[in-house]
This record gives sequence, C-alpha cells and structure tokens, in this order.
Amino acid sequence: AHSRRYVLCEVVSEDPRCRQCIEDRAVGLAVRDAIGRLHGDYGLACCSISFTVKYLNAYTGAVLLRCRKDSYRLLCSALPFVRQLESRNQRYPCAINTLHVGGTIRTCQKFLIQYNRRQLLRLLQNCTNEEERRCIQKSLLSCSLTEEQSQSGDEEDDDGME
Amino acid sequence: ELPDGGARPSAAQFKQLVVSALRELHGEVGAALPVDVLTYEEKTLSAILRVISSGLVKLWSALTLLGFYQNRRCAFRVLQTSPFLLALSGNSREIVLD
Repeated sequence: AHSRRYVLCEVVSEDPRCRQCIEDRAVGLAVRDAIGRLHGDYGLACCSISFTVKYLNAYTGAVLLRCRKDSYRLLCSALPFVRQLESRNQRYPCAINTLHVGGTIRTCQKFLIQYNRRQLLRLLQNCTNEEERRCIQKSLLSCSLTEEQSQSGDEEDDDGME
Repeated sequence: ELPDGGARPSAAQFKQLVVSALRELHGEVGAALPVDVLTYEEKTLSAILRVISSGLVKLWSALTLLGFYQNRRCAFRVLQTSPFLLALSGNSREIVLD
C-alpha cells in the first residue's frame, strides 16, 4: 500500500464571513487550484492521486488534508498560495498556515488537541473583559478527554471547542 | 517543427514559447527555471538552449508535450543534449581528421 502524508493546517481570514466557505469541496478546490498554478499540470496530477480533505472544523479553521508521501512537498509549498475560498458564488480572501505534517491521522489529531489547548490558554490571556474570561475559563475547566472506543473517534477533536 | 507555412517565431517569441511550455506543465515554478536561448536560427527553427542540469527533465518534458504555437500545430524535437557546448557543434562520429 502507498504511504500517505496528512497535512494539518488552519485557514485564517480577516473576514468573518469566510467561515461559511470552510467546507471540504471549497477548500479542496482552492488547494488544487493553487497546486495547479504553482506546479502546473504535472504537479496537479501528481498531488491529486489520493488527495482528499479528511477533516475540517469551520469554527477553528482547522483542516486536515491527505496526499501521497511522494508529493506532499508539492502540496505544502502550494498552501501559502491559496488566497481565497469560494463557495455558492461567494468568495472571501483568506490564508492558510501549515501546522503539522504527519504520517497518520492519529499523530495529527494529537497535535491538534495540544494546539487547541494552547490556543485556548492564549485566548484566555488576551481576554479584554471579565465576561469573556469567565466564559473561557468555564470551557477550559469542562474540557476532558473521554476515552470513547467509537469508530469515528479518531477524527474528532476531543477538546470542547464551541 | 512548424508544418504549416505560417510566420516563424522570432527569438523572443521562441523564448516565450519555451517558458510558456514550462508554465503549462510545471507551473510558476517551472516558468521560473532559468533557461537561456544561446542560439536561434529562424530559417531552420533550430536553437541551442541552456538549462541547469537539475532542470533538464522539466525542460525536456515540457518541450515534448507542447503541441501548439499560436493555435498552430507544432512539435519540438530534441536532437542532442550535452553538458558541453562544443559537443553540439557536430556529430563526433563523423569527424574527419586530416
């Protein structure tokens, strides 16, 4: 069987309406378009084998992409060139940050959980008023990793993000 | 090779054609590959191109797959490649030494 690489990234945008475009088809098309522009027909075809959007979280902007091990470099180099997401005839500017590249979904999930925890703490520190502070503290305290043996457990982000 | 008897590309248009072939097959990264047209003969439509050796595969594959120049059918034939320019001046098997 062919090795795969899982690339964990986050979509950031100054426009809050961009969140509604964070869906697998729109993100997949935007990434493939960037690969096509940057690496041409050859690069696009290379990366498209086994390319798919494995997981998305529109609230946090986390996206997990999968590709062949031989072409993950083409994919990663093209991610900074994604400039907008388009969905239902709406397009909004955005940028993609690469967070982690792993060989399995599990390693990416572990990283994402730790990353989300750190982000929550950072948000807590950046709180400007008591109200937000209390809200976030409540969320953090109610977070717990439940050891569920469900099939889809692998792809779920176990931290309680609203 | 341009089988139809139309206008022949100038040196600049030839370079543009090579770069656009690279851009189609290998994208912006391919188009940014430094390729030099060392000589170009409009009459015979033959040229000597220079590229860094790590870029040979990209250049050759891009030229091979280029099928059109201004909507006219065309084809690139690579006659010879060599790391040395002098080697391209003649067929070393037919050298006559006097």
